Amino acid sequence: MNNTCEEILTIQGYGLAYLSADRIIISHNSTFSGFAGQHLDESPFIENIIPEVFGLEKPLAKVASGEEKYLILENVSRQIDESRELFLNISFFHLSDQSRPLLCLIQDVTNSALQKQKIIQQKHEINLLKHLSETRKKFLSSSLLGNSPPIKEIRRLIGKIALIPNSTVLLLGESGTGKNLAAQVIHYGSRSSDANFVEINCAAIPENLLESELFGYEKGAFTHAIKSKPGLLEEANGGTLFLDEIAEMPLTLQSKLLSVLESRRFRRLGSNREQEVHFRLIAATNRNLPQRISEGKFREDLYYRLNVISIELPPLRKMGQDILLIAGHFIEVFNLEFKKEVQGFTAAARQKLLKHTWPGNVRELSNCIERAMIFSEKNMIEEGELVFSKESVNLSSRWQIPATGIDLEEVEKQLILSALENSNGNKSQAARLLGLSRDTLRYRLEKYQID
Amino acid sequence: MSARMESSNLIKKKICLLGSFGVGKTSLVRRFVFDEFKDNYLSTIGVKVTEKIVAPVLDSNHKPIQYKFLIWDIEGHDKFNTMIRNYYLGASGGIFVADLTRPESVQTLKKTIAVFQEINPRACLTLAANKRDLYEENSEESIKILRQIDNLKIHYLLTSAKTGYNVEKLFYYLANRL
Repeated sequence: MNNTCEEILTIQGYGLAYLSADRIIISHNSTFSGFAGQHLDESPFIENIIPEVFGLEKPLAKVASGEEKYLILENVSRQIDESRELFLNISFFHLSDQSRPLLCLIQDVTNSALQKQKIIQQKHEINLLKHLSETRKKFLSSSLLGNSPPIKEIRRLIGKIALIPNSTVLLLGESGTGKNLAAQVIHYGSRSSDANFVEINCAAIPENLLESELFGYEKGAFTHAIKSKPGLLEEANGGTLFLDEIAEMPLTLQSKLLSVLESRRFRRLGSNREQEVHFRLIAATNRNLPQRISEGKFREDLYYRLNVISIELPPLRKMGQDILLIAGHFIEVFNLEFKKEVQGFTAAARQKLLKHTWPGNVRELSNCIERAMIFSEKNMIEEGELVFSKESVNLSSRWQIPATGIDLEEVEKQLILSALENSNGNKSQAARLLGLSRDTLRYRLEKYQID
Repeated sequence: MSARMESSNLIKKKICLLGSFGVGKTSLVRRFVFDEFKDNYLSTIGVKVTEKIVAPVLDSNHKPIQYKFLIWDIEGHDKFNTMIRNYYLGASGGIFVADLTRPESVQTLKKTIAVFQEINPRACLTLAANKRDLYEENSEESIKILRQIDNLKIHYLLTSAKTGYNVEKLFYYLANRL
């Protein structure tokens, strides 16, 4: 390459370096030094100076020998600082000069790369959003497993409710019966499924936090409100707000929620401005709400406002042969997860599954199968491999409190630690062992400062 | 051998992350290298190389060995032109990433694995079935996707860049087999 070409490339902003056949830098221009940075003094080899060249030793030998004419790496990105990215084209060309047969050119292509990124970003985002919505519908509708009459009835009801926009739904049922799943099926099956599905567990968050989470707040509304934050009501606008364990919501907040449901308007904490919101409210509880009302712990007017359409999710023990269907489904799931080839249950194991009362419902069944699959070494799960985690809870009446009393919080803390130990620190598994949701467990971990 | 011993006895290895757009390749790198996760999606253009020194592992002679991974986070693509193939050159390991909620992200991997293996026949491979936090393990759809992954006949792990589930394990699977 002659000097004029070199000058033109330098003026055009190209970094330029001549290399020997074994990739040692012989000479370079000042722009190249800028791309190489401090590494230039550390080693003569190009792959130690431009890290993106590492691994290209063999292909570069082909370019140096003339077997290949060039090698180009397009749009190699480097992070300059938190907000700025630099994009480079790094190219190698064969030269007929035997003492320096490789020419390395580095070009800053940040502007064109960022334009390309903008176009691709839009295309990908549209695809991903469209896909997410479609997949969720498919995933969730196939998740309500079972052929028993109660499950068929639930599917029929949910299908109808999904078509009615913004109707309030109350989901009732024991812990682990799939209330959260049913709420998602309603949301993703409805016309507003592209809008947000926002969920919060009323039992997992302290009272004052729950209010600010729901309503949002303005900067300065309270001591730590250093900037304004929209609440979940705003996030759910146009979509669905799912309030799990609604019976645990404090009375003061119940009246505020009722007001929002009636007026469709609310104010952020610390704000005088009213905002309008439209969302579908789905509330869920495993408690007997009329009883909570008689105890003065739940507002009667809110109960009637929520109880427009209620669905009672059946406990597993009332699902008959569906227990085996769901258990078989878990076998398929865990076969793939644990890379096993378990085929099913022995006759005695099937009987044991059907006879158990499943106080923890589907969550307990999933746990039970997961544990059996971990330890099973045969292709059929046997009766003895099915251990019911709730057995110990059923024995609770035998537990005796010592005369000196106990520290209940300490007992709870120890049980959480034990569950974490049994699940090798896996919080989802630990939550399942304790019959808690992940959110509730997370709250308790913070409460007891368990890392 | 594309490894050069540095003065500190670190052995450099090029590891490529490959897969369709939006499957979480960048998030897996970010989780592994910086232990962080960002919810916003930004498409990767071209390639971004991030370095990470991994904890020592034992080599085949049971001697401790320590690697510096040069992790190539390569833009999601469906075509394999020369420009894309150039990114694969000289890799010692390949991590193929699928999205557990998108069956088509698994289908495109078959071709990607074949091209990568053709360029790097001795490379060690694994697959990250990512977004475990999003997929519904109880659904028929999830089982179908996992079955497709199983049919690719390479080692795989369910991962979540969001929660960090199995992310370290994924990279150390390669470190232990390079």
